[in-house]
Amino acid sequence: MVSPVFQKIYIMLGKSDKENLKRICSVLPFLFSHSNMTSSLYIVMENLPESMPQVKTIHKEINKFLSEFLFVRLFVHYVHYVSAKSLEETGFCYQYIKQMTGDFDKEGYMYQELPRLMLLPVIAPDSQIKAFPFINFLDRLRKSFFLSSLYLDQTALSFAQDEKIQSLTEKNYFGSGNSGSLQDIMTSMFYQDLLDNSLNIIDSSDMNLNVQCPACLIISAQDGSIYSCMDAFQKGEKLANIDEDLDIDKLMSRGMLIDRSGKNCLDCRERAAESFSDSPMSRDTMQKLGALLCHFGILHQNDEDYLKAIKRYEQSLNISPIEEAGRIYFRLGFCHTNIGHYDYALKSFASAEVACSGEYYFYFYKGVCYFGKGDYHTALQEFLHAINLNPQQDDLIRILIYAGSCHNNIGEYEKAVILLEKAEKLAGRVKEIYNALGFSYFKLKNYDKSIQNLLIAIDIDPCSAMDFASLGSNYREKGDFEKAIVMYEKALEMDPDMTVAMENLKKLEKRV
Amino acid sequence: MNILLVEINPFVQATTPISLGYIAAFLKTNGFNVKILSIGHNTSISCNVFSRTVRSFQPSIVGFSAYQRNMLYVTGLAGLIKSIDSNIKTIIGGPQATFMPSSALKEMPDIDYICRSPGEVTLLKLALAVDNGTPFSDLSGVTYKDDDGAVYDTPELDGFDDLDKYPSAYLNDVFDYSGMTEAIMLTSRGCPHNCIYCYTPRAFKHKITFHSVGRVIDEIKWISKKGIQKLWFADPNISFNPERLVEIFDRILSENLELQMWMQTRADLVNLELIKKMKSAGVSTLAFGLESASEPVLNRLGKHISLEKVSEAVKLVQSQGIEVELFTIFGLPFESLEDAVKTLEFVKNNNVKIMGNTNSQQMQIYFGTHIAEHYRDYNMRPSNNSRPAYLSIGSQYETSYMCSNEMHEMQKLWKINSLDGGKRIVS
Repeated sequence: MVSPVFQKIYIMLGKSDKENLKRICSVLPFLFSHSNMTSSLYIVMENLPESMPQVKTIHKEINKFLSEFLFVRLFVHYVHYVSAKSLEETGFCYQYIKQMTGDFDKEGYMYQELPRLMLLPVIAPDSQIKAFPFINFLDRLRKSFFLSSLYLDQTALSFAQDEKIQSLTEKNYFGSGNSGSLQDIMTSMFYQDLLDNSLNIIDSSDMNLNVQCPACLIISAQDGSIYSCMDAFQKGEKLANIDEDLDIDKLMSRGMLIDRSGKNCLDCRERAAESFSDSPMSRDTMQKLGALLCHFGILHQNDEDYLKAIKRYEQSLNISPIEEAGRIYFRLGFCHTNIGHYDYALKSFASAEVACSGEYYFYFYKGVCYFGKGDYHTALQEFLHAINLNPQQDDLIRILIYAGSCHNNIGEYEKAVILLEKAEKLAGRVKEIYNALGFSYFKLKNYDKSIQNLLIAIDIDPCSAMDFASLGSNYREKGDFEKAIVMYEKALEMDPDMTVAMENLKKLEKRV
Repeated sequence: MNILLVEINPFVQATTPISLGYIAAFLKTNGFNVKILSIGHNTSISCNVFSRTVRSFQPSIVGFSAYQRNMLYVTGLAGLIKSIDSNIKTIIGGPQATFMPSSALKEMPDIDYICRSPGEVTLLKLALAVDNGTPFSDLSGVTYKDDDGAVYDTPELDGFDDLDKYPSAYLNDVFDYSGMTEAIMLTSRGCPHNCIYCYTPRAFKHKITFHSVGRVIDEIKWISKKGIQKLWFADPNISFNPERLVEIFDRILSENLELQMWMQTRADLVNLELIKKMKSAGVSTLAFGLESASEPVLNRLGKHISLEKVSEAVKLVQSQGIEVELFTIFGLPFESLEDAVKTLEFVKNNNVKIMGNTNSQQMQIYFGTHIAEHYRDYNMRPSNNSRPAYLSIGSQYETSYMCSNEMHEMQKLWKINSLDGGKRIVS
């Protein structure tokens, strides 16, 4: 069994959780030993001054662990609100934390590298806080720490536009929940980081989003519950309790990593992309997000889940640059075509015209829409246009079959035969070709040829009721009623509700 | 007998540890069972997983690639290994180790040997000794500390001048290709020049040795079959022998190998014909060492190259649509802040994008370099004299011409001008 390696541990502190905190601290060495050699710890709390006793206790454990394992790096994120009133006191707390962890700075200096313990404030300013004192606060923090990140809910969004504040900010997290609770902050941060991770993947060459999200563990000091990932935390699917005797193999056998299959992580990635698609972001990020949503559309399209694909393409179109839109409209049209929404599909194709007008498949799928709508003349024009653009052989065969079927539907049977026989030469044994040729020759009253083609169709698919019925009609026209009756009967064996076969059989039985 | 080789650099993504690969292939073909662990910041590995790996693999020797930047991590991991089994022998090798003072062993309680000579032959000799149960007998190419803590130096060992005598890391399949997107190639070793800040010339006795063209192509074909198209050539001067390089490119072209290659060489070792060939074979980026654009500073580095030559080479490469990177350093001997700014201006004026390897960094004073041995002669003042003996001066120095604040200023200036926030690809 492969042991899990946690990339991130979240501890959500509560107010009256002394016992839970004690237990958390007792399991921290165990959790750190199963964390990546470079990992992150998020301490999420209402406000820093009130939580300082807990923070100090946790830091003692951190210091002890890092001093024992000299190759471990830890990024500690302090995630908390600040109010206008608590700014100064919070600043003092940070000074104290800095003193508490000073040995790691000295060690970093000695080894000429970044300290192994990195302290990263994530500040959630409340709605009452004014820009000027907040700038002073961030500036003071900058002198001892790396730039702070901000968690901005709807009431604090203006800080994302403040140049001075942004110059003192590493990253903005945007609140997507409504309550402003610690849970909301934590999940928003996780999903925004996951979104950034997905955007990096989409920017890379392999573009494989079907990878697990960074393995994490969430511990609520409020009730002592442990969750195996943010998705499980949101669903309330508790893995264990902090007062249990934790053993990594036991946790795994209990299904710690269940639901952390690539598929579920992909769902989380998709949810993250969707939930932040209307957050303030740079043009560049917006474009990448558009590409990401489009990519999710493609994944759904490949799974033939066209409704989900359509949703993603539409979201992508809302934020993608105009030069990308044509290709996305084409995909949107393709999905609508596949679920028979031909009018929507044609509307989408119209918007894809500039980007796709040189491509044969553009005309092919337009043709499929008109064919589906029963407008065979227009469909035929589109198919013939597609043929002129030198399609790939597999597609050429499909286009020839469609075009032949258009001719059949508008009564041009000789033209249909020419195209269908061309398709036959390229494709070999494809049932649809012989079925359509059987129809063309029947209409041309060349019953022997029709029978010849329909027999091949039946040879390919012996369960085709329609082809047996068509054979019946050919034998009937040739006056071979006995054979015709046999064929109609076979058709009805396969499809007892086939009206054409039933009616013809009745007529023939009377005549015989 | 099992041997574990570890490369740890937690500040960057894990890369192909090519040097460990060579050692692994050499030991493997001599009958030893070798495992390589490459640990970067993105590698999914915990203390627990590392301990389990050591316990289940049961190595008799663990070797570490040692660099100035990873010494804390190397000594830390060695401590964990010894706590699991104190009989496991630990050795450090690589740029930090070759010229590290022997006395440093006393400050590394969990390291038993320092590798001084070429890793392949030295590790084999050690492996044979450990396998025989006589870990401190008949050794060469190492400094060791016996069970009583006494430190001994042993005679040097020579490596092969014909690099083909070293089995290929790729053809012997010592790497895990599952997460590999870029392969690191080493088609030659060493450098005959005398740059005062560089470790390579002395480490390789001012010689340059090569793999045959056939061997290079066999490796490239193997790597391509594994689905990897990006190649990063670690040769210090890939075009030292231009005819050989052209032959490599011709073979790449005739074999229809589609590649994206990064290479580095000296600016006075390229011409238009060679660069055109590079382009057609798939070289996407070519890096040159500029170091300083202040003529008086440059002239004192032992590099023997002119700014005109660098400028000319940059234009030539850019004219063929190949990206140029320029390696530069500041805090050089006799370099003032004003001189250092000239380097930044030179890079900008030559339209070289300030990103990746073009992001400058302060000179590091490494063990084995001319400057490390003679820093006083260059009026360089170490600012931390309490560092452990296994660390060199590195970047902790000031000069008579530049104080540490000015060096920070310079770092900031480069960062401001950088297109990617100053992140170097190699260090």
